[in-house]
Amino acid sequence: MEAPAPLRKSLALVCCDIVGSTRLIARVGDLVVATVLREFREQVGRLAKENHCLMIKFLGDGFLAAFENMNDVMPFIISIESLSLLSQNTTLIGQLEGFYFSLHYGNVLYIETSYGSDVLGEDVNVAAHLSEIAQPNEAVISQAALERMPADYQALAGAIEVRPFKRVGDVKFRRVKLFECHPNRMPAWFRRP
Amino acid sequence: MAASDAEPMPEVVTEAIVVIDLVESTLTSNLFGWYAVGRQSLRDLRTLIGEVGNIRGLRCVRSTGDGYLLTFYDPQSAEMAAIGAVEAVFELLSRIFVRNQEVSEARALNLRCAVHLGEVDVVPNDREGPHISMAFRLEEISRASLPTALNPIPPEQFPLQNYVLCSEEVAGILSRRATHWELASIGLLKLKGFPGWREVFRVLPEDTSDDLSTRGVL
Repeated sequence: MEAPAPLRKSLALVCCDIVGSTRLIARVGDLVVATVLREFREQVGRLAKENHCLMIKFLGDGFLAAFENMNDVMPFIISIESLSLLSQNTTLIGQLEGFYFSLHYGNVLYIETSYGSDVLGEDVNVAAHLSEIAQPNEAVISQAALERMPADYQALAGAIEVRPFKRVGDVKFRRVKLFECHPNRMPAWFRRP
Repeated sequence: MAASDAEPMPEVVTEAIVVIDLVESTLTSNLFGWYAVGRQSLRDLRTLIGEVGNIRGLRCVRSTGDGYLLTFYDPQSAEMAAIGAVEAVFELLSRIFVRNQEVSEARALNLRCAVHLGEVDVVPNDREGPHISMAFRLEEISRASLPTALNPIPPEQFPLQNYVLCSEEVAGILSRRATHWELASIGLLKLKGFPGWREVFRVLPEDTSDDLSTRGVL
């Protein structure tokens, strides 16, 4: 059967990386980390489904996810952040130090490939490189994405920063601290209903 | 006193680093014998490397077991060392194509090549440093790497042998200084031990009408 034709779509693109995965391998060994990653992928896959994720692609110790509705994105990010926060010392995922997130909004090619669905385009690169400048437990959000987010979340964003990207030019972005307090004292908006 | 304290600090230079891997060399040696086929193939490869490299700034040839680590140096310009390295690799592939027409299938050479540029520690008959590791990571990229890449080319479009990959650093130099090659991004990849995403490029001869691509070599 032929694969469906590629589609141009405007999507929210989320990149996530695990903080200190190399340190974790050195500390507990690659066999344990492989088990942690398996559990992480299962949990993230479940949360992606719950939050109407269009496509998720696991990339070593992270993932790329695409959403059609911007309203689904922050609950998804927060629910993943909560995985390490709320399960500390109770599950394998609790061993993770946290996550780096980035969020970008752009026009990409959505395609079916031999290894599953994927999204292609310069905006994917932008999302990936934004995740490289995130601090642990922080989401770096491009201005293009932030403008499409609910006002509650926009209010949490820090000052505008700018970074040049190859073939794209300057990209404006802002940082959102996903938590700055103990999980028990997280603001109500942070908790999933 | 640590053993390394007695040794002088190595010279640090910027060189083009090439990793060449013989495709299925272990299998070939096991199948046809190291002394009958494997040893001669590796020696032929070393000879060809000398022929194409010596006039282009080849400074180090180090066996990696089933291939070679090479470095190229240009006293005038580090960037020209990268150009020399890429020229040498394409000339090597061209000569190997001709050689493969003349030898038995068992003796045919097929290569995977990766080119990077960076500062290295010069140690006798060898090179050390993270840029060497980076070059080896590039060489390890295969079709299987692409499903975990961002913006990848379709895995089935990635060649199995006789191709040249390069790092962003080398791609930048080629796009500025050389007109006779084309660069095709194969995607953004995470390379083990290196933080962040790295865009990796395949280097292709610009004129595909009469080159190795049309002959199924590149």
